[in-house]
Amino acid sequence: MSEKVLLVDDEKEFLEIMSERMQARGMVVTTAESADQALSIIGKESFDAIVMDFQMPGMDGMEALKAIKNKKPELQIILLTGYATIEKTVEAMKIGATDFLEKPADLEALAKKIKEAKAEKMLIVEKQTEEKIKEILQRYGG
Amino acid sequence: MAQNENIIAHAGIRFFGSISASATHEIKNNLAIINESAGLLKDLSLMAEKKGHPLSLERINDISERMIRQVQRADLVLKKMSRFSHSVDQAMEITDLEKTIIFVLDLASRLVERQGAVLEIISPVAPMLVSTNLFFLENMIWRAIETACCAADNEKGVKISFGTNVSEPLIWFTMNRVKKEIMDDIFRSKEDLALISYLNISIEKNNKNTGFGLLWPKCI
Repeated sequence: MSEKVLLVDDEKEFLEIMSERMQARGMVVTTAESADQALSIIGKESFDAIVMDFQMPGMDGMEALKAIKNKKPELQIILLTGYATIEKTVEAMKIGATDFLEKPADLEALAKKIKEAKAEKMLIVEKQTEEKIKEILQRYGG
Repeated sequence: MAQNENIIAHAGIRFFGSISASATHEIKNNLAIINESAGLLKDLSLMAEKKGHPLSLERINDISERMIRQVQRADLVLKKMSRFSHSVDQAMEITDLEKTIIFVLDLASRLVERQGAVLEIISPVAPMLVSTNLFFLENMIWRAIETACCAADNEKGVKISFGTNVSEPLIWFTMNRVKKEIMDDIFRSKEDLALISYLNISIEKNNKNTGFGLLWPKCI
């Protein structure tokens, strides 16, 4: 089954070309030009992974990461960055980023990370479903 | 005095660092688009070779034009960085204030965008020249822009204008609406005070407390 990805970057040309290449590899790609737009999209749709530029005008990457994780904790976020410091990377991973890739990124490496992110998300969702079922059984099943 | 110089040197290095980081990010973005464009050309040729998809000349032309555009954008960033690097060449030089502000805004456009501010420059009637250290003037202007963006409330509109009288500030930063708590505490850091003293300028607030100006003792 194809991976459903939300690609977030303020560079329109990057979004166009990257989404075309990802779609050619069987992924279903939605794009957003800002963190605010991404937040609005994830409120309406579900994704296997979000690939997001870490430095965008408006909402800063760290703020965006926190806001997304707050809204949808199960979402897997892969950060793309022009310059990544170790401190920032560690901070972002602590907040809940799944992975990091430096720009220009190797698409095959990114595709691999997206597949891994999808598998990780499925595990989390399965666990959440199990917990919900247990909760329902405890409540109603005696 | 030596302590002040030390503080200014640190402020200067930090300023140079943030501008370089922003430029690097822009160039990385250009490289990423060039990289993906080259990748797309490869994808298209593979699809033509393995699956017999026809290669569209128009498409190839579009992709090459995109690559050329990105090379030009990256080159522009590098030219600006080169000009900025040469700001440190001379201890004192005669500088046009408006041109320096436009250059700093252009150089730091990505950082300004991140502040979410809308800046408007109102040109002076005649060029306003001062004799100063260009690099530290650029640093001071950037600190003033950051301060104005930070103090601006709501719509974040900041107007940059120029005084007409030598007894008044030469550069004015006026905000549509301000955050009073920030305006009450502007230019109080050690770095601000050291830079102000080094450049031999003073800061004046306007009557309504909605803006501030940089005042030079004399204009050329």
